[in-house]
Amino acid sequence: MSLLNSIMPGFTRNLSNNDEEKPVSPAVKPLYEVKETSDAYGLVVQLPGVAKDGLSITSEEGTLTVRGERGWKRPAGWTSLYRESTDLPFELSLQHENAIDVDKIHAELRDGVLRVALPKTEARKPRKIAVS
Amino acid sequence: MRLVRYTYPSTRSLVPAYGTAFRNPWTGLEGEINRLFESAVGDYAGVAAPDRFPVDLYEDKDNTYVRAELPGVERADISVEMVEDYLTITAARKIKDGDKEESFSFSRSVTIPGVVQADKVAAAYENGVLTVTLPKREEAKPRKISVNVN
Repeated sequence: MSLLNSIMPGFTRNLSNNDEEKPVSPAVKPLYEVKETSDAYGLVVQLPGVAKDGLSITSEEGTLTVRGERGWKRPAGWTSLYRESTDLPFELSLQHENAIDVDKIHAELRDGVLRVALPKTEARKPRKIAVS
Repeated sequence: MRLVRYTYPSTRSLVPAYGTAFRNPWTGLEGEINRLFESAVGDYAGVAAPDRFPVDLYEDKDNTYVRAELPGVERADISVEMVEDYLTITAARKIKDGDKEESFSFSRSVTIPGVVQADKVAAAYENGVLTVTLPKREEAKPRKISVNVN
C-alpha cells in the first residue's frame, strides 16, 4: 500500500470530504422572469410545491439567491408509477451588482409563484437634470 | 410512459456466460449498462415537453394519485375531467398587465392504469401543485384470500 501511495498520492484520499469548499447540494433552476420599471425591478419565480417556510431569499455580495425546498414529501406506501418532476429544491442566483436597495425588498409567495419587488437604489434611479 | 419492471435475478443473469464458449463476451454488456442507468434514473422516467406542465403518477393500495405542477393558477380556472380511463386536467392562467389582460389555457390527459371509481375523484390545490385522488374500484384492489389447508 505504501508503494501505491508513493505512486498515486491521491489514491487513499477520502472522497467524501475531498474539498475545503462548502458542500454544493443539487438543485434545479426554476423558471423566472425579470421586468424593469424606472424605479424597481420585478422578479417572478415559479416555485411549484414550495411553501412559505421552505423558502429563503438571501442577498450577499451583490447576488440575490432564492432557494425553495419542496414542502411535500411522498407519503409512505405511495409508489411512483411515472415521474416528470423532481424532489430537488429550487435555487436561483441573480447578480444585481448592488443596484437594488436590499432593505426594501418585498416578496410575496402565492400558489407556488414568488413575486419579488426589488427597488433600485437612489443612485441608480433615472433623474432629470435641470439645465440652467 | 415507460414502466421499468423489476425482474427477479436468476442465476443466468448473475453468472457471466463462461459456459457459452462461442458467445461474444461483450454481448449483453450494452444491455447491462442500459439497465444500470435505468435503475439509477428510473424514478424520473419522463421529462415533460417544454410547453407542458409536469405530471407525476403515484399509487397506493386504495388510490391512484396524479400530481400536476400548476403554479399561479386560480382554483376556479382549473378543471379536472374523467372520461373512461383518461384524466384530463385543464388550467387557464390570466396575466394582468395594467389594462391588458392575457389569458391562455393548457391541458394534459393522463391514462390512469386500473379501474377508477370516477364519481369519487377528488382534487386539492396547494402551493401551486394539484393533487388528484382517484379511488380504485373494489375489484382492482389487491386482496388477501385465506385458504384453509386441510
